[in-house]
Amino acid sequence: MRTGLNRTFAAVLVVSAVLIGCALGLIFLVAPEEKVMGAVQKIFYFHVPIAAMTFLSVFLLLAGGAGYLWTRRAIWDHLAVAASEVGLLFCTLVLITGPIWAKPAWGVWWTWEAKLTTTLILWLLLAGCLLARRYAATPEQGARIGAVLGIVAALDVPIVYKAVDWWRGQHPIVFGPGKTNPLAPGMSEAFGVSMLAVLTLYLVLLIARIRLSSLEERIAELEDASGRFR
Amino acid sequence: MSAERPAPPGFVRAAALVARKDLAVEGRTRESMAASLLFALIVLVVFAFAFDLDFVRRTGVSKIVPGMLWVTLAFSAIVGFNRSFATERARDALTGLAIAPVDRGAVLCGKAFANLTLLVLLEAAVIPLTGIFFDVDMVTAAPPLAAVVLLHSAGLAQLGTIFGAVVSRLGRGEAFLATLLLPAATPLFLSAVHCTATVFEGSPLAGDAKWLLITAGLDVLYFLVAWLLADAILEDA
Repeated sequence: MRTGLNRTFAAVLVVSAVLIGCALGLIFLVAPEEKVMGAVQKIFYFHVPIAAMTFLSVFLLLAGGAGYLWTRRAIWDHLAVAASEVGLLFCTLVLITGPIWAKPAWGVWWTWEAKLTTTLILWLLLAGCLLARRYAATPEQGARIGAVLGIVAALDVPIVYKAVDWWRGQHPIVFGPGKTNPLAPGMSEAFGVSMLAVLTLYLVLLIARIRLSSLEERIAELEDASGRFR
Repeated sequence: MSAERPAPPGFVRAAALVARKDLAVEGRTRESMAASLLFALIVLVVFAFAFDLDFVRRTGVSKIVPGMLWVTLAFSAIVGFNRSFATERARDALTGLAIAPVDRGAVLCGKAFANLTLLVLLEAAVIPLTGIFFDVDMVTAAPPLAAVVLLHSAGLAQLGTIFGAVVSRLGRGEAFLATLLLPAATPLFLSAVHCTATVFEGSPLAGDAKWLLITAGLDVLYFLVAWLLADAILEDA
């Protein structure tokens, strides 16, 4: 199990590094510059895949939380912890890269549109989840409470999106990506490779975090066994 | 002998007993109501300073008062939700409830029902006060407003009870409860403010059917979440 995880980790790490190099090459050397937005559009090759991974984290958080409460096996909790931490990191990156693009493209750093608002709420939910784990008296309590909060957060996110969508739908949205134009030749390749690069990077971080959790667990077991450190 | 031992109460009866206990404690101490009500009053006064009556009238009552009302209710409700479990923590009474031979979901639902009752009492005081402070005719708006408030309070009380239990288990207070509850309750607040604005405008609520429907759905969802996760929340740490 552990060596299997190590090998997967090494493989994904190498693939990720190569793909990130390829993606950067395609984005800056091959993909044509967008006519209206110019160079600033290139942030999208990273922004969109990072956002996709953020919402993938929500599913993993739900799976990890539900799996832990159902089976009480630590590996599910490790998945939930990794999904919330890496998810929070990616969510932060979405909230940073988004406004960098929005200011030149829309003229404002922020609007209370459904996607933006949901991402911000998700950030708060994930941060709350991690804070709760920090406050827990024992790792076991942290895992249980983390699972409960993770499940509630994951169930909430789609509803938040729908509610904000209706809410803003009352007013016309002046700024917005509108209908997606088919990407120009060169752009779709760059986008596809970026998506894979970010996906593998996400997996690298996720596996690294899961490994860290199982090492922590192992150390705690050894400490308990020796009884010397506590 | 064991044949004479009374059977443990079922779900509804256990929930009713927990709710009755909570309401009896509150009826004697009135601590939670006093704290929530005073806090609500302070928030309303702060709003009155932040947006004076002229500004509210010019902007339009239905555009600004629903938001103020629900912010006030949310914050003062948090004071109450926190109290609901703080009293249980004093002598580790929550552990006693958790080991009672009843469905733990019933314990959470009973507490949620008591919290809802207290929230409705709070609202019965805060809403007329808001009407007086910001010159809103609450009397004609009363029947549809009552429906809107009750529907949204049910979900808020259920969610507040789940998070209240979690925060109490972690040994934290109101600040952390607000951190968890407010983002998670976003859909409820959006719906509540929207429907309240409709009522203040004097428009029929039928136009907001989808909001009312999603809120009813949320009420059921939060009930199910509380019921399913109660074991994990109340389990001894």
